Amino acid sequence: MTQSPGTQTAEPSAARISFGLTSLRTYGLVIAIIAIALFFYLQNPAFASFQNLSQLLRSMASLGMIAFAQLLVIISGELDLSVGSVYGLTAVALAVIWLGEGNSPIQLPFILALIVALAVPLAAGAINAFFTTIVRIPSFIATLGMLSIAQGAELLLSNASNFNPQYNVPPPPQGEIDLFRALGYTRLPFDIPVQVLWLLVFFGIFWVIRHRTLFGFRLLAIGGNTDAARVTRLPVTRYKFVVFMLCAFMAGLAGILDFSFVGSVGPNSGGALTFPVFAAVVIGGASLSGGRGTVFGTLMGAVLLAVLRNGLAIMGVGAFAQLIFVGVVTIGAVTLDVLAQRAAGRRA
Amino acid sequence: MTGAEVRGAAGDATPVTMALQGIRKSYGETRALRGVTLEIRGGEILGIAGPNGAGKSTLMRVLAGEDERDEGEILVDGAAWRTGDPRDRVAVVHQEPQLWPNLTVAQNMVVGREPGGWSFPGLPGDDREVLSGLGILDYAHRPLAECPLAVRQRVEIARALAGDGRFFLFDEPNSALTEDESDRLFAAMHELAGRGKVVLLVTHRLGEMVTHCTRVAVIRDGVVAAELTGAALTEQGIARELVLGYQAVDAGDRARSGSGEALGDEHRPARGHDGPVASLRGWTAAGGAFRAIDLDLARGEIVALVGVEGSGARQLAASTAGFGEATGTLVVADTEAGTGGGGRTVYLPADRRGMLFANLSVGSNLVMRLGVPEIATPGGFLALGRLRRLSDELVHRFRVRTRSAAAPLPSLSGGNQQKVAIAAAIARRPSLLVLEEPTRGVDVGSKAEIYRILRDYARLGHGVLVYCTEVPEVHELADRVIVVDRGRPVLDLRVTDHPDLTALADTIASVEHTAVPGRSNHDPAPAAAAG
Repeated sequence: MTQSPGTQTAEPSAARISFGLTSLRTYGLVIAIIAIALFFYLQNPAFASFQNLSQLLRSMASLGMIAFAQLLVIISGELDLSVGSVYGLTAVALAVIWLGEGNSPIQLPFILALIVALAVPLAAGAINAFFTTIVRIPSFIATLGMLSIAQGAELLLSNASNFNPQYNVPPPPQGEIDLFRALGYTRLPFDIPVQVLWLLVFFGIFWVIRHRTLFGFRLLAIGGNTDAARVTRLPVTRYKFVVFMLCAFMAGLAGILDFSFVGSVGPNSGGALTFPVFAAVVIGGASLSGGRGTVFGTLMGAVLLAVLRNGLAIMGVGAFAQLIFVGVVTIGAVTLDVLAQRAAGRRA
Repeated sequence: MTGAEVRGAAGDATPVTMALQGIRKSYGETRALRGVTLEIRGGEILGIAGPNGAGKSTLMRVLAGEDERDEGEILVDGAAWRTGDPRDRVAVVHQEPQLWPNLTVAQNMVVGREPGGWSFPGLPGDDREVLSGLGILDYAHRPLAECPLAVRQRVEIARALAGDGRFFLFDEPNSALTEDESDRLFAAMHELAGRGKVVLLVTHRLGEMVTHCTRVAVIRDGVVAAELTGAALTEQGIARELVLGYQAVDAGDRARSGSGEALGDEHRPARGHDGPVASLRGWTAAGGAFRAIDLDLARGEIVALVGVEGSGARQLAASTAGFGEATGTLVVADTEAGTGGGGRTVYLPADRRGMLFANLSVGSNLVMRLGVPEIATPGGFLALGRLRRLSDELVHRFRVRTRSAAAPLPSLSGGNQQKVAIAAAIARRPSLLVLEEPTRGVDVGSKAEIYRILRDYARLGHGVLVYCTEVPEVHELADRVIVVDRGRPVLDLRVTDHPDLTALADTIASVEHTAVPGRSNHDPAPAAAAG
């Protein structure tokens, strides 16, 4: 009656747990991406060049990394609006602590500065979680406040100036600069940017967390029905602390990697990230009311946004008009999803 | 009765009558109403009684216009009458008023019938008169959320009166009111009747029905099974009607020595001690819902707690599993459990939505209370093979009717969802299983299966504590019943000593009190306790 353990193939539990509409939706998204990419390719074959595609993937790395973590927050039934400003704050914190510039009280060697800088988003995430779970104010408000706090802290720390380690006076040791640039600027074999590797590694890590751990399994329940989760004695508060801290940490790490790639950091560098992070998660099929969403879907959401940006840029559409496209696509994708669900509900 | 002001009693004297003729209503396969025929005369207070699932709430929804009837006529003063017309509807006074807490009392009065024009509406003079007639004019400009429950309920009455309402339905209206507040509410009810309005009262408190109703209609199996008036209208009389004609859903099964075959051998607990599986000493609720409870649950025993809403019975049950604050000692399976009940208790609230996950599959719901090592490795990774086998096994063992464990939970019938919730709880193997109304809204077949599952589980040496509202459920499920009134046990007897259902109903009805101790509004569903 039951299969012997040896014959069991690795049927993904995701398909088992949420078969049907969710996976159909992800296939639809992949098909849409292929169609749009094909369109851009026909417009300009340079779109499909190896160089352009690897540039496209690199450009979405930090967005994707943050979106994976934001997905977990959204699955748990909360949201984190502060990712953009935590991204900027962490990069600036690294710069001023390492270089001893701005209003930094201390100057530390690169490794120590990196550790201190990464503690900043962890603290921000813990504060977000504290007000959401212990004080019980909506995460919308808690993280909206954090958005402003992190932004203000960033400007205070930096005096709103730019930092470039290479041209700093006095410059840090060359070994430290090399290490710093290695994080986000190195090229791997075949000239692949290292940030693409970061993106894929974190895709793997978050896929395992979401689909293969007890944590991911219970997170679905917590976001799906918080009251029932409490009656079932699931560790609601602890899990929400983990997702908020993880989300802020990923934002901070992405900020540092982008700082490393660009080589300099200025004020308000992450402000434009908030929207696309949410757009990627939502286009990827997650429900903002919690309990639903996949890591692969989120990756595809981020890919769709990156393809649009890149392809439109190649066609010569300006950055301002691109924003309009991205907004239209986000609303369109979610509208299609809602209509499909309604149709499925009628059939059932 | 406090002196209720009979306003304009001479003016609107002709009582209105409402006649229901052959009302039928089905939900899918379930025939909730099978031809209700009933005459309701203005000037009387008509009580409506009936066991859960008999069609009482369906009838109320049909009258209030929330559900369309399938067949039948409703005549008012001999002419056909349409339900759901906002200008001439049945005003329902709920136990928790369905109003706008963010608006003031005055604003609540005019919502939906604002005077024309664009100005922000004030309080018309007529409304002012209605409010003062009900003694709540002082609250007119206070936000509803800040008013006491008794005032909020009277705002519902006032809204209906201001709209020249003729029909009033009181649905368990005083379950959260103090004795004094209930008295005033009943005074208002009598005043409405005195003015010739149609007044319906639905309540679980039989004593109140006897005191205040002129007539009581008992709904059973979707029809009016009996009407009691005059000398026949007694608490015992209603209690008997409620259980009369009741078919035991699982007859003759009580005596069967549950071998627990449905649960598998690994559930067999360590034998060897005969002490109680759970005991309470001086157990007292933080909010005062119950006081100084001493209770021992023997191994293998199913104890039913019975009590009307507000008696504290429900809170008592939930608190033994750590949901709701209480002081005293609670020992479960020979270990002091504190207030959390530790990992040895599992609690299932009455509302299915409060314990199941609609976004997940049947299988995921079944194993949701498990962790390491049942479905995950010590490192926290899911053991997918084990998880799948276990959920398939639970589906099979508890006879959950689903096409597969992977089917989404909402694709199951209510009864099967209830079985999933209970199976998930038992899979956790608690020493003490605490349930509220385990078969509410469940079909007869599933009911029998649920009783059998619970009995089998108890026979393995575990304790089961059930909060019940229905005497037949007590009769069929429990070994022992404890009736709670005003936060104290008033009756503790072995169900097996009362083989006769009617006699058991009589006994329980005779001790269940009608009034509530003075207490604040207590959340009846203590779902959001304990992190």
